[in-house]
Formats: sequence, structure tokens, C-alpha cells
Amino acid sequence: MSAFISYLVHGISVGCGFALVASGIIIIYRVTRVVNLAQGMFSVVAGFAAATLLGVGLPHGLAELGAIGLAAAVGVATGCVAIAKPGTSPQASLIATLGVGIFAYAVEILGWGDQPRSFSGLSGAYEFWGIDVPKQYLLVTLVTFVVFGGLEAFFERTYTGKALSACASNPYAARLQGIGVLRMGLYGFALGGALGGVAGVLLTPLQPISYDSDVSLFVNGFASAILAGLKRPVLGLVGGLVLGIAESMVAGYAKASYQSSLALLLTLAILVAQATRREALHAVEE
Amino acid sequence: MTRSVASAWPIAALAVAALATAAMLDESALSVYVLLTLTASVTVGVTLLMGHAGQVSLGHGAFYAAGAYAAGLLAKHGFPTWGALLVAPIAAAGIAAAVGIPLLILRGHHLAFATLALHLIFLSLISELSITGGDVGLQAIPSLAFAGITFGSVRDYAYLSASALVLIVLLAQNLLASRPGRALRALSSSEVAAASSGIAVGHYKLAVFALSAGFAGLAGGIYAFYMGYLAPGSFPVVLSIEYIVMAAVGGLGKVSGALAGSALVFLLVHGLSRIATLSGMPGTAPIILSYAVYAVLLIGAVLFLPGGLVAFIAARRNLRARPERTVQPSTPAASDSASSAVASKRGSYS
Amino acid sequence: MIHVESLCVQYGTAVALDGVSLNVQAGEKVALIGANGAGKSTLLNALSGIVARKSGTIRIDGRLAHVPEGRQLFPELSVDDNLRLGAFRGGDRNPDWIYQLLPELAPRRRQRAGSLSGGQQQMVAIGRGLMSQPDVLAIDEMSLGLAPIVVQRLAAQLIRLNAERGLALLLVEQSARLALSLCDRAYVLETGRVVAQGPAAELRDSSFVERAYLGGPVEGAS
Repeated sequence: MSAFISYLVHGISVGCGFALVASGIIIIYRVTRVVNLAQGMFSVVAGFAAATLLGVGLPHGLAELGAIGLAAAVGVATGCVAIAKPGTSPQASLIATLGVGIFAYAVEILGWGDQPRSFSGLSGAYEFWGIDVPKQYLLVTLVTFVVFGGLEAFFERTYTGKALSACASNPYAARLQGIGVLRMGLYGFALGGALGGVAGVLLTPLQPISYDSDVSLFVNGFASAILAGLKRPVLGLVGGLVLGIAESMVAGYAKASYQSSLALLLTLAILVAQATRREALHAVEE
Repeated sequence: MTRSVASAWPIAALAVAALATAAMLDESALSVYVLLTLTASVTVGVTLLMGHAGQVSLGHGAFYAAGAYAAGLLAKHGFPTWGALLVAPIAAAGIAAAVGIPLLILRGHHLAFATLALHLIFLSLISELSITGGDVGLQAIPSLAFAGITFGSVRDYAYLSASALVLIVLLAQNLLASRPGRALRALSSSEVAAASSGIAVGHYKLAVFALSAGFAGLAGGIYAFYMGYLAPGSFPVVLSIEYIVMAAVGGLGKVSGALAGSALVFLLVHGLSRIATLSGMPGTAPIILSYAVYAVLLIGAVLFLPGGLVAFIAARRNLRARPERTVQPSTPAASDSASSAVASKRGSYS
Repeated sequence: MIHVESLCVQYGTAVALDGVSLNVQAGEKVALIGANGAGKSTLLNALSGIVARKSGTIRIDGRLAHVPEGRQLFPELSVDDNLRLGAFRGGDRNPDWIYQLLPELAPRRRQRAGSLSGGQQQMVAIGRGLMSQPDVLAIDEMSLGLAPIVVQRLAAQLIRLNAERGLALLLVEQSARLALSLCDRAYVLETGRVVAQGPAAELRDSSFVERAYLGGPVEGAS
């Protein structure tokens, strides 16, 4: 039983990380129709930056905030490449984000080398009913829920949040109201960058990252987003938790190395099922 | 399938050039040549897939790896090496056909993700299974031998890989010139129109997917014998990206584009790596430069190459566009037929 | 208010508007009629800056609100949010006056805009356009898909706004009958060119217009 609980706890905190990545993907997708293949890269950059800032003596908290800010800026830069040129289709933007991610590899290796890095987060653990729950796990979970609360409030309560939703909902009508779709798109990318950054600073203490960690982060984030139907960012939390817990169970009870394949197969199965249903519906309509 | 003298010329010229190059280059350049021709072979398949059947593949490296491992495994277990080489493309094509049946129902970024997932799952599999040697991989793969001739030197493999490339180009050109090929071209401009004129869209997509995988598998098989050892680390995800960059830079759908793009990108990256390994440069310089070059080329090709990646993928996008979700000036139902016909291709940002 | 001079718009090689000149004075009610494909929506999109012009000039004094064809609401957002977003480029974000103008919307303010009936959605679309306090309101195919009684109600509101606030109207319609009955002046657009213009009464009586447009379908089915 305690094994199950510890897998569960681990799965929840990992799932929160996925959820943060997923929410970035969802927001950028909803506002710009672009699937941001560089989303995992935001987390890696933030993780590296936090490690560096902590290394030069900045205190915890400030270092992480600085790293998140950097990730947001990188997000805006990615957005510029992806959508600033008029006439870029969403599919071209997809490939452009892939290019940005690869360029980031070059920069990351140049700046931080090709070896994994980490930094220490919260050490120690609290004990709940005989189970040791590492403090970092609790931090991850807490911060994630706070962030998602903030996202909900932003999109549901603020005028800018509504304008962003409008861009996602009907870009043509948004333009007619004078909502600058490009500007909103860049806000979306900035927000996606920041969310990726939060994921990065929270997860790096749990597992060292290297320049190519973005692939698994993206894959898991996208899988979570798909599970959440790519709709509201908040649903990314649900998708992430489901995936994180599932992977943790597989790692715990079966073989750890199969966990990412599980995520992938699950996502593919859902994608194919969704597409098959869509085809069937269209066939009926004809 | 008629083949006139006119269209035989380019292939003949290519064959002569390819083999002559293999004959004339010195040893150090030959190793580059082998890898270049192998890469170009895969890229031909990728460009066919993306340019004509309209499918993005972020995972073609997996088929390359599949062919390599198939050949390597069989050879190590006593199978005649030339037979193992023949099995390589068949194995790759078979895997492609099998996964293609469920996966090719996906489009656009979903399919891109699915192919990426494919590559990752494959890597995970070969890293885990003991039969494939896990992370260490397969060692001491016997040299290729056929009818008493043993392929021992780099030059031998250069002739082989060059010949394979010529064969693949030949097959690709014939495919495009044939009736199925014309069906393919109809597919690339409008899947809906193609389907309504009776073309079995699904079959063709699957066939091209499998064929392009076969090309990659053949190249992979040669790679296995050439290198003599295989490991999962030889087939990273970035490999799949390389093929796309080369295909995009060269111009999608054109076999000549695949060749030009491969040559350009490969030699550029290789040249930069040489500079980067000069004394005084940090050890990571080669990899930094190659990533940077790939990235810049890919972004440049996709944003600025007219009629390249942009037009291709745009045409592939959700062909059943739902009116309220598009950026078009007017809803298709009640609008100008002229403006909506052109505007429906403009699903862009401005 | 709106001055368009020799406007040409192309989509790639297809010519959508070929030397169109048109104007709308302050407080006027102008109709733009023409069949499907004539270029009416393109003209409005050019006025709003959505579509680039190849040549010619467009001058708009004051603020133009474009109510697009097919409502084009934000379906997942509430009626209230849809209205408030209409004031993005300026104007009071409080939509209370819209609810007074269109009381049918008031009990539905929290409802998802996508779940409203066609007529209600059209009200929201018009209300959204009004929120930016425009000087001229351009409406594309207001009557499309709506029951006549709903159209009449909407039209009455527009007439009132025009009379009381001096809101200029540019009504784009396939249904010539409706547009000509509401407006002072009209233009007839055919394959990208203005083929007739003048006071509405004149055009109503013109046999050319009668033959081509007044006999046509009153409400387009979509």
C-alpha cells in the first residue's frame, strides 16, 4: 500500500509538471492555432538559467523568477519567428517552432554544455501517515495549483484574458473588434514561455535536465494536452495528472523505461480514435 | 509505363556521376560520400511523402534504424548477408504499412506528432530489448558478401550506396511518371477532389508511406554493413529532422530537390564541423554549429521559400475546413465562389 | 464619412473589386446590393482593413464598426463578454445601454453566445458593433437566415439609432427589397463593379434592378 501511495505522490508531482507544459501548449494553440514544438525548450532554458543564477549567489525565489522571466522572453522570441511574418500558415509556424527548438540546442550547449544539470530544491520530507513525502513534491503540486488558479482567473475575469480567448475563438471577428491578433499571439507565447519556465524551475530539482530533455517534456505535455482535448488550459491539469500518475504506476509496477512509450501509445490511441470518429461522422453526413 | 529516351538521360547521367565520384574520391572523402548518399536516399522518400502524398514525417529515422537493425540482426544470426540486405527495406516497409493503417488517418500536426512518437517508441524498444543489444547495440556485424565478393573497403560501400541511391531515384521517378504517380499528384493538390474522382486516397497514402520507408530501410541496411556496429545512439530524433530540412531546402516533391538539398545541407554541416574541430575550438563546437545550421536552414526554408514547406502543408491542413473556424473574410456558404476558392488557401495570419 | 475612390482588390490573380467608388455621408443610410459573389463582403473587409487593397483610396472619417456576415460571434464566450469585447478599440465597456436597446438579450447575458438563436445572435453581433460607439455601422447580410419578423425588429432599431444618434448605416444585402426600403441611397455591385447607383426610390423603380434583384430570393438559405 505504501508503495502505491508513493507512486501516486510521485505521479501527482510529475503530472503537475506535465500539466504546466500542457497549459503552455494549449494557450499558444488556442490563441494562434500553432502547436508549439519548442514548448519543452522553455522549461530547459529556465532550468539552466535558474541553476546559473543560483550558482552566482542569487537566493532561491529570485533565481527562479529570473529564470521564468527569461523563459517568457524566449517565448516571445519564438512567437516572433513563428507568427510575426504575415502570411505564415499555422503549419509553417509549427515547423518554425521546431527550428527554434533546434537553434536553442545550439545556444544551450554553447552556454551550458551538453551534460545534465540540476540544482537542489527543497530538501527533506514531511511525513504523512507513515509515508515520506518529499517537500519538493509538495512545492510542485502547490505552485501548480496556484498557477492554474491564476490562469482560470485571468481567462475568466480579466478583459485581456477575454480578448485572448476571443482570438482563439474567432480570429476574424477578433480582428474586426480591433484586437491585434499578432499582439495577442505574442502575449500567448509569452504566457506559454512563462508556464514552461515554471515547469522547468520546479522539475529540475527532481530530475537533472540536459539540452535534449525538451523532447520528453514536450511529448508528455502534448499528450496531456491531447487528453484534455486541447481546449481550456485548466483541463491540461487533469490531463497532466492522469498521465503523470499512469506513468508513475507503470514505472513502479512494471518497467521504468516503458513509461514514456506508454504516454505516447496512449496519446496515439486517443488521436486515432478521435480522428476515426470524426471520419465516421463526416461519412454519415454525406 | 513508357520511358522515353529523353527521360532516361538524367538517370544515366546521375548513375555515371555517382559511380565516377565513388571511383575518384580519396579515402577520407569517401566516408562522407557514403553517408551523404545514404542520407540522400532517405530524403528522396521523405520528399515524396511530404511533397506528393502530403504527409509530414518527423520519424523517418525510425525506418532507417529499422532497416539497419533488421539487416544487422539477420546477418549476426547466420543469415546470408546479401539476403539480410534485401530484407532490410522489406522490413521497414512492412512496419510502415502496419503502423500506417491506423496512423495515416491523422493529419497535419497530429500526424507529425504521431511520426515523432513512432521514432521515440522505436528507440525505446531497441534500447530495451536484449535481442537488439540494448543501449550497447549490435557489434561485429559481418561484412557484406555477395557472389564471392566481399565488401571490405570504404570504396566498396561507396559504390554500393551510390548504386542504391540511383536505384531509389529511378524507382521514385518511375513512380511519379506512372498512373499511380499521377494519382499521387492529384492527391497532393486536393485530397477531397482526388477522393471524389474515385482515387482510393487511403491506399495511395499508405503505399507511398511504405515505399518511402522502404527506401530508408535499404539505406539503413547498407549503413549496418558499412559501419559494422549499431546502437540506438546512432539514430537520434534529430536524424529525422535532418531529412526534413534537406527535403524542404531542396524543394518538396522533387527528387532533384532531395538530392540538391541533401548535398547542400550535408556538405555545409560537414564543412562547418571540420572547421569546428580545428584546434582551439571547444569540443562541442561541431554539434553547436550543426544544430544552428539545421535550425537556420529549416526556419529560412519554411518562412521564405515560396511554394516549399509552406504551401505543401497548408494544402494538407484540415481539408474539411469548418467555416466558423477560419480566418476567411466570408463564410463559404454564402460567399463569392472566386474569393472563397482562393481565400480557402489563405488560412494564414493576415 | 466613408469615401472610397477607384478601389481595386485582388485575391491572388482573381479580381474581386474593380475600380469601385462609393461614399457614405454622416447620418446617411446607404444600401449596397448585389448577388452572391459580387464583392460586397470584400468591400467591407477592405474598409475594416482586413483585406489589402491593390489600388485606389479609402478614407474613413470617424469610427467604422463592421458587423460581419454570418454573425461571427465568439461562441464559447457569454453574450456579455461578446458585447464588452466590442469596446476593445474604444468606448464604454459597460453594455447596459445595449440591453436597453435590445431587451431580449438582457435575460441571456451570461449565456454562451453560441447557444442563442439566429436572430438573437444577430442582435449580439449588432450590439457588439455598437459598443465601440461608431460613427458608421456597416452590416453584412443582416437578414440572412432570419425570420422576417426578426429582421423587421432589427431594422426598426437601426432606423431609431440612425434618427436619434445620427449613426450612419451601410447595409449590405442580397435582399434588395429590404435594403432599398430602409435606405436613402443605394449602390448596385456586380462582379466587382458598381453598375448602378442613386436614390433608393429611383433604384426601386428601375426596371433593371427590378428584373435582376427584386425578383431574387429575399432571404438566402444557408
